[in-house]
Amino acid sequence: MPEQLSQEQIKALQEKIKNMSPEELKEFQKKQCIFCQIISGKVQSKKVYEDGDAIAILDVNPANPGHMLIMPKEHYSIMPQMPDDEIGHIFMVAKALSNASLRALEVQGSNIIVANGVAAGQRAQHFMAHLIPRKENDGIEFQIPQKNISEEELQNIRTMLSKSLGTKAEEAKGKISPVSITPKGKRVVEAEFEENKESIKAKSKTKREVKNQKAKEEAKEQKKREIRENINLDDIAKVLGVK
Amino acid sequence: MVEKARESCLLCQIVANRVPSYKIYEDDLTLAILDINGSNPGHCFVIPKNHYPIIEQVPDDELAILFTVANKISSAIFENLKAPGTNIFVANGVPAGQTVAHFMINVMPRKENDGVNLQWKTRQLTEEEMSTVELKLKESIKGAGIEKIEKTQKPKITTHEKAATELIADDEDNYFMRQMRRIP
Repeated sequence: MPEQLSQEQIKALQEKIKNMSPEELKEFQKKQCIFCQIISGKVQSKKVYEDGDAIAILDVNPANPGHMLIMPKEHYSIMPQMPDDEIGHIFMVAKALSNASLRALEVQGSNIIVANGVAAGQRAQHFMAHLIPRKENDGIEFQIPQKNISEEELQNIRTMLSKSLGTKAEEAKGKISPVSITPKGKRVVEAEFEENKESIKAKSKTKREVKNQKAKEEAKEQKKREIRENINLDDIAKVLGVK
Repeated sequence: MVEKARESCLLCQIVANRVPSYKIYEDDLTLAILDINGSNPGHCFVIPKNHYPIIEQVPDDELAILFTVANKISSAIFENLKAPGTNIFVANGVPAGQTVAHFMINVMPRKENDGVNLQWKTRQLTEEEMSTVELKLKESIKGAGIEKIEKTQKPKITTHEKAATELIADDEDNYFMRQMRRIP
């Protein structure tokens, strides 16, 4: 990669890039791309997995030991450029490697993270999925805030996105209860519960409906209790066939 | 066991239409809904209709469709919500931040200074530590018989077929081209 460019050089480069066809751009990017050089073997790396279309290497600046970068061999700068079959393949590899890291590294979970665009935290110009093995209290604290979004805005977004996706998803009937389940959403699970109760009061349902709702709430309480039990190490281990 | 899990699983209740939600995409195996307390407006969950707590349980063909759908939603977010970025985020296991025992993919629209932080502090491992991890992972992969994963055919989305490329307008100035023109 070029180290420092003068203003004129940057300007000239911008002009050159502006006049390139998409194919030329891709070719140009490939030449600049450190990950393409890793894939071709010109730059050394610690490869943990490789097949005809994908490669996984250890991140040299890992968040945790075993932090892997899973990449298509073909150069794509963001995920929307990738064909469907390549996307499917990359995440099948991610699943297999998550499985492998759970078995080999005595970890209790994993995060898969993709960043599309600088605003999302993308730094490399080659599409990649980060796979980060996780342990309790490993010092990684992702922040995913929970914002209050108005019903109107949600409805607008729903209409826009479902139209764009050509979905068969139907318009919701009845009041939407909060079903916020973002990671770190334990508080919201509580809040959701309270709000559910509110909406029941507001609707003054029949006794039977209230009874059903109560049963549902009990089921939810049960679920909350079970959440931790459901996804503990034993469960993961069981799935992986290890004791 | 599975039945019990379904009854107590909020997402299974949503799949079964017993709990209403803002659905944005649905096919025979997949459902995508809006998070009403999302990190940004447009934050979605893509979930399998079948109940699988963790990614290791999701069959490969379903997994391929889930991520293909996540990508289509991400493309739609770029195009329709004019977001400058998106994240695809999966928390697998409680230490990773998983709070619901039903596998889900978060698709999150992003903009500058939106309060979302998916960064990490990097660790410096010694050459020896790195090599040990490399070796352990390689052995584990061999042990699991996954030395090579064949790329399957294009995932067949059962009731919906629209290539991501169709979602991206052939517009000179769209995000797709801007991304490519970024100076490395």
